[in-house]
Amino acid sequence: MKGYRKYFGKKILWFVVTFVVAVILNFILPRLMPADPVAAITGKMAQGMTDASAVQEIYQRYQKEFGTDKPMIEQFFIFVQNMFHGDFGTSFSQYPRTVSDIISSAIWWTIGLQFPAIIVGWLLGNILGALAAYVRKGFDKVLMPVTLFLSNIPAFAMAVILLVLFAVNLKIAPVSGGYAFDMIPNFSWNFVRSVITHYQLPFWSIVLVSIGGQAVGMRSMSIYELNADYVKYARFLGIKDRKIVGYVFRNAMLPQVTGLALSIGTMVGGALVAEIIFSYPGLGSTMYEAVTAADYPLISATTLIITVMVLIVTFLLDIIYGFIDPRVKAAQFD
Amino acid sequence: MKKLAALLLAMILALSLGLTAQAETVTELPRNETLYFAGQQWGTVNSWNVIGTNQNNAMAIAGGIAGYRTLMFETLYMYNFMDGSLTGLLADGDYAWNEDMTELSVKIKDAAKWSDGTDVTAQDVARTFEIGVEIGNGTGTSYGAYIAGIDAVDDKNLVIRAALNDAGQPVNPLKLLDFLSGVPVAQAAWIDTVVERNGGDAVAILNDAGDDVVWSGPYTRYFADDTKVVLIRDDNYWGQDASMWGKLPVPKYIAHAIYADNPAGETALKAGEVDVCQQFIGNVQNLWLQDGLPISTYYEEAPYGVCLTMPTAWYNMNIPMLKESAALRKAIAIAVDYDSIIANAMTNQSPSFNDAPRSLMNPTEGEQALYDHEAVKDLQWAGNDIEGAIALLDEAGIVDSDGDGWREYNGEKISLNAVCPNGWTDWQASMEIVAAAGAKIGVEITTLYPEYSIYQTVFTNPNQTEYAIFMWSPDGAGPSMPWGRINQFFSSSFVGVENNWSGNWGQYVNERADELLSIIPMTTDAEELKAMYTELVEIYLTEVPSFSLMYRPSVFHAVNESVWTNFPTGDDGRNIPPADCTDGYGIAALYELELVNP
Repeated sequence: MKGYRKYFGKKILWFVVTFVVAVILNFILPRLMPADPVAAITGKMAQGMTDASAVQEIYQRYQKEFGTDKPMIEQFFIFVQNMFHGDFGTSFSQYPRTVSDIISSAIWWTIGLQFPAIIVGWLLGNILGALAAYVRKGFDKVLMPVTLFLSNIPAFAMAVILLVLFAVNLKIAPVSGGYAFDMIPNFSWNFVRSVITHYQLPFWSIVLVSIGGQAVGMRSMSIYELNADYVKYARFLGIKDRKIVGYVFRNAMLPQVTGLALSIGTMVGGALVAEIIFSYPGLGSTMYEAVTAADYPLISATTLIITVMVLIVTFLLDIIYGFIDPRVKAAQFD
Repeated sequence: MKKLAALLLAMILALSLGLTAQAETVTELPRNETLYFAGQQWGTVNSWNVIGTNQNNAMAIAGGIAGYRTLMFETLYMYNFMDGSLTGLLADGDYAWNEDMTELSVKIKDAAKWSDGTDVTAQDVARTFEIGVEIGNGTGTSYGAYIAGIDAVDDKNLVIRAALNDAGQPVNPLKLLDFLSGVPVAQAAWIDTVVERNGGDAVAILNDAGDDVVWSGPYTRYFADDTKVVLIRDDNYWGQDASMWGKLPVPKYIAHAIYADNPAGETALKAGEVDVCQQFIGNVQNLWLQDGLPISTYYEEAPYGVCLTMPTAWYNMNIPMLKESAALRKAIAIAVDYDSIIANAMTNQSPSFNDAPRSLMNPTEGEQALYDHEAVKDLQWAGNDIEGAIALLDEAGIVDSDGDGWREYNGEKISLNAVCPNGWTDWQASMEIVAAAGAKIGVEITTLYPEYSIYQTVFTNPNQTEYAIFMWSPDGAGPSMPWGRINQFFSSSFVGVENNWSGNWGQYVNERADELLSIIPMTTDAEELKAMYTELVEIYLTEVPSFSLMYRPSVFHAVNESVWTNFPTGDDGRNIPPADCTDGYGIAALYELELVNP
């Protein structure tokens, strides 16, 4: 038990160090861009103004408001201080909206789209990979190549293909949006149906692309395990096939679980391609716009969320590994 | 597996429930009562505060002097860029100048009312200006230098006093006219409420969400989230009075789904989910000629719309050779193949420089009549004049003396870049054509496409030397045009100004031009004006401090007539401008729309 505590103590220490470094990088990296977001806000207001000194005044006012006239180190400490109060400041690109407001309204769309898509893609991929390794036949000869082909289509192309095929040509799916263009969100089956209908294309554009990658990984891991000595030994001992397959997949799953955890950790980054092509609301396009507009507070906040999510997920993973794989548990206790 | 499926279903339901929690009203917008837009609203609405800033609320608070969007908030007058006229909206009848143009009198319509039933008064206009100056919002900063104050003579009559210069003359009377059609009037009582709840703090007032705002226009907010914004008609709108429209606008709802980009908006237009589209659509004529869709534009033939501005390539005068050599500037400008730019980048949605010869004016009839075409005929060029350009350079002694194929200026190889923001594809195509022209005349021009966030930081910096030839558009139409635009081309008041968004981005100085620009606003005699504008065009075509690459509308206007029809067109004799049925006098279209299938 002591070893266990030491192991996790060390892990936590490393996570804290990683977190501190990430916070510093989150703050500094966006600010290294040679762009001045305050000038952009000023520009939005100054279009059509003929009085040059008035524009100057606006610039200085925003500079003061955003604190960009202060030294970088001072800005950093203000940023950290506010961060611990859950205050990520005001967005530059969507000024005067606060970063928390932008994220809280977009994040549910992103989680709603990404989480099920990641889980379904992962499950389908792994089941297919396992079947291709164990059953072979049609799974290995037909389904596997098809999914591999699908997952090698770039995400944006897949999204466009689905859009053109099902929305533009066949007209069986909507072209864009999170719900029907003529609806106001309300509690009715019509609306729920509309949300689900609009969900399909973005959802499948993510799932179809991810199945193949998962399947191919699972397949090779399973084949490797199926040929492992312990499997042969178990067969000699006359252990039931079902039981053996159980062991095999439990072992083959390990790297897949890591992959799943990381996907979930980075999920908040959003499904940029699907969001843009289907005009689906979410954090992906928000982040993309933040980067192109050099919106430091918004970039810092979203990247920080991703960092924290990845840290939490990897930490949980370490614990879960112990349950899935006794070898890891043994190492943790050492 | 079952558990997972259940979990998934629960998540989807939770998502839907989460959405419904924000729902304001239970409804599906009836297609036959809703007019859908695209190309106006990008991203989520920030606020409804008409005296604030950065509202990002394109349907309710947007537009400029070329036509304010008066769906929810109204201006005194509506500008019509087809003929430059101002039609009274909140204002009753014509405005009147006093003799020395220091005071402008306006009367408010008796019928004009706020949404809370109170009268729109002269005090409201005065307070709108006053708070603008106090807190420094768009109105205050745009007009503070030109308007000394607005006095309410009584409830319905007001006088706008011009700011005076040292000589006791108005700084610029034209800007007072801009105020009439460019500034939405806010209710004085509501302004006081906002000031009070924010303790008078300017920044807090500017950022106030304005959820309780009082409006005077025909529509008001109905719904807004990350995916759309919807306005609903105010059936108590004062404008149904005989002294204004005499009726309500036809569509009950104005809706704008928030599209991620232009292709998404265009797809929705083709699918009939959008009625009015303010987006550049390449080869727009193919939508009806090839695809057979019920989509149309203001004119059936090219240029399909009304061009009001001209995206321009500016020479950076911080680069010595560009500052010193007018021959070099002119040679590049006359070598560029503008027909190719207009055919490819603009897919002919711009008149050519043969149709509307190069000057400082936009191609509208009103502005074209402002200068003497014959007098400057020899100076104008339509482009692709490689021989002429080569002769010009040779004559100026700018030759290739070391035989490397590129010309030198004072012994230094000429190597310039042509820059515009990345992703602005029509501009990028133009810059490629400029670079190609350079290659033909022995002047090395390379293209550079930085991200917009970087581009805007650099080109507004008055000391930058990174961009040699770079693009930006001057303003389009408005009561102060073409003076305002020419001011942007020439005025040395912008030279050396940090964060210069106002004009003269190339930092060019010409004393005579400055002088003319200071006289024009005070001049009312048509002949005198024409002589001065002609002289300015002469200076422009001789000195070539910048060169326009194409003409372009201020707003694009394509309509899908599957649900609504009777949109304004160029030949219907109604004189309603193609301003998306919302801007300036363009809003008149909303009162005349008809259903295809009533």
